[in-house]
Amino acid sequence: MLGLGLGIAALGCGLGLGWIGNGALQGMARQPEAIGKLQIQMLIALAFVELVFLLTLFIAPGNFAGK
Amino acid sequence: MHALLQLGQTLFAAANSGPVEGASFLGLAVYFGLLLAILAGLMAYAKRGFGVQVFKNPITVLFEHLYLFIENMCVGSIGPNGRKYIPYIMTLWMVIFLSNVMALFFPEAPTADLNFNLGLAVMTILYVQIEGIRTNGFFGHLKHFAGPKLGIWMIPISGMIFCIEIISELMKNLSLSLRLYGNIHGGHMAVESMNALGTSIYIPIGAFLMPLKVLTCVVQALIFTLLTCVYLSLVTHHDVEDHAEAASSVAHAH
Repeated sequence: MLGLGLGIAALGCGLGLGWIGNGALQGMARQPEAIGKLQIQMLIALAFVELVFLLTLFIAPGNFAGK
Repeated sequence: MHALLQLGQTLFAAANSGPVEGASFLGLAVYFGLLLAILAGLMAYAKRGFGVQVFKNPITVLFEHLYLFIENMCVGSIGPNGRKYIPYIMTLWMVIFLSNVMALFFPEAPTADLNFNLGLAVMTILYVQIEGIRTNGFFGHLKHFAGPKLGIWMIPISGMIFCIEIISELMKNLSLSLRLYGNIHGGHMAVESMNALGTSIYIPIGAFLMPLKVLTCVVQALIFTLLTCVYLSLVTHHDVEDHAEAASSVAHAH
């Protein structure tokens, strides 16, 4: 059960990261002079998405212990 | 009060019982001492390249580029007065990055330990609060938590925003430290479990994860310092003319 839950969490995290990368890449391709600013905002967004998965990773084992 | 004491005792008992994960405090101190020794050695070597018209010492050139990078980041995200925060940001960057690189070679590193990361995060958030108080004054800093000015009938709303902002300020500690810890320690765990797959054929499959881990080193150090810059820029903007610009950058940051 834990593995399945973590898999679903990783799926969501991967979708979110891919979406952010897609958006940032499109923006960069349309406006190459804004790459510096876009990269910074992209990294911040990536960090927030990643954090959700890490929180899942920390909370899940405690809640699934022994089940 | 009694309940609080009991909670503290329970937490202490929980911390003292059970298997100890990661290095002990002494082990952490040894790794941190190693890190500081490497850092001090590198910087002492870089200092020997000073005093010439053009820096020829490669380490000096490296540190110069690092300084330019950090300065660009500070000035870009905090504004013209961001130059003041370069020493703190650069210290954070060097310690976190070198410790992440150490985590590639050693089974334990300072940033692969939650205690160290929590210490860094608490230090950062306290520094941000102190800078906010120094820039806007104590009550100005508190007012900053209450959100925009909404009028006399909206005081309950402002109070609610105030509570939520305080909670989010406390949660910043958790998010900063857990992100770094999860990425570095999670990298170790992933390598170990991939190695376990290849034990029967004597191939360390986890080694193929190394490029990703090198990338993680840079990105995590960058994110920690960048978020510190963003938090600093949130609390230190005070001029009326750049208020709209700061608000738009805030909206983008979230």
